[in-house]
Amino acid sequence: MAWFHPLSSWVAYNRAAMENIARHILTPALKAAWPIMAGYVVLGIPCGFLAQAAGLEWWMALLMSFVLYSGVGQYMIPNMWLAGNPLASIILSVSLVNTRQMLYGASLSRFCAQAGKRLSYIFGATVTDESFGVNLALLEQGDWGIKRATAVNFFSMTTWALANAAGVLIAGAVSLPTALASYAMTALFICLLCMQAPTVSNLVAAMGAAVGVVVCKLVGLSGMAIFIGAVIGVAAAMLVPTSACSEGEASRGDQA
Amino acid sequence: MTFSDFLIVLVGCSLTMVAFRVIPLFALKGKELPETVSKALGLIAPAAFAALIANDLCNPQAMADGFSWVWAAPLIAAIPVAFVGVKTKSMAWCIVAGVGVLAFLMLATGQM
Repeated sequence: MAWFHPLSSWVAYNRAAMENIARHILTPALKAAWPIMAGYVVLGIPCGFLAQAAGLEWWMALLMSFVLYSGVGQYMIPNMWLAGNPLASIILSVSLVNTRQMLYGASLSRFCAQAGKRLSYIFGATVTDESFGVNLALLEQGDWGIKRATAVNFFSMTTWALANAAGVLIAGAVSLPTALASYAMTALFICLLCMQAPTVSNLVAAMGAAVGVVVCKLVGLSGMAIFIGAVIGVAAAMLVPTSACSEGEASRGDQA
Repeated sequence: MTFSDFLIVLVGCSLTMVAFRVIPLFALKGKELPETVSKALGLIAPAAFAALIANDLCNPQAMADGFSWVWAAPLIAAIPVAFVGVKTKSMAWCIVAGVGVLAFLMLATGQM
């Protein structure tokens, strides 16, 4: 039985390590992640409905959720495909919307100085709008690390993927008009627009983009309308003098 | 959507997504973005979301043919969604409000 002692100590060591991870990383991460997870159940099931309408299987929705992991992107892909947009237009539009992720990476980079390259990569590759907000607030408080932040991302991603797959399976049994399922995405975009700071630049960007889309549709460029419209909006807002933005923000600050 | 279409979209979107998420994290350790680049990146979100909303809600060809609940109902439903969005900033509540109001309008106008 001489072999038993090293084995039992190995098992005991690993059990202690697992308990340590569960107590110091997973439990606080789950406490931080549960509001995101609840929201992802509500958002993910209609997204699965839409994916099923576009002909995706449950495992495709699951794979897309783990590989792409983009709520807005995963609403856009089936919706644009159902509207008859070409694949290049879908990829361009989804990529354009996701460029905002660069800002999140830039903001979080200062907290990754002590983390290893592999952990930093996994953390960065699994950030979303919601987990960015939760993790940034906790990282700035100081009592939070990249391991816990990555665990928050993983809990959120797993919930999102399961909700999407469940949505596809439920949609196979329940009949819901595509117009209603796709309107969930429109409502999501309206909410995301409402979350933007009400600055002069942002208002010009939004108005310019909306006008650009309508003009594109009127001249028969429906397939590229989102991309061209957004570029027009950004270009128009870049022309707004910085002083005008500062005045607008200052006056709001005074009111507050 | 065929499997090959699915793969092309998944690979194309995922490659750009990973690049956007990871490259700034590694490239900017201890550095700041140039002000112009930072301003342009900050403007993409409102422009892109407004473009997506306009694309969903505006159908100039159908509107030119005269009033129809098919295009009017989503436009009307957007008003309470915007109100809920400004008040709560909650994506879940916005979806509940939008889908709920649109379902009511579609039922009331015989589209469902």
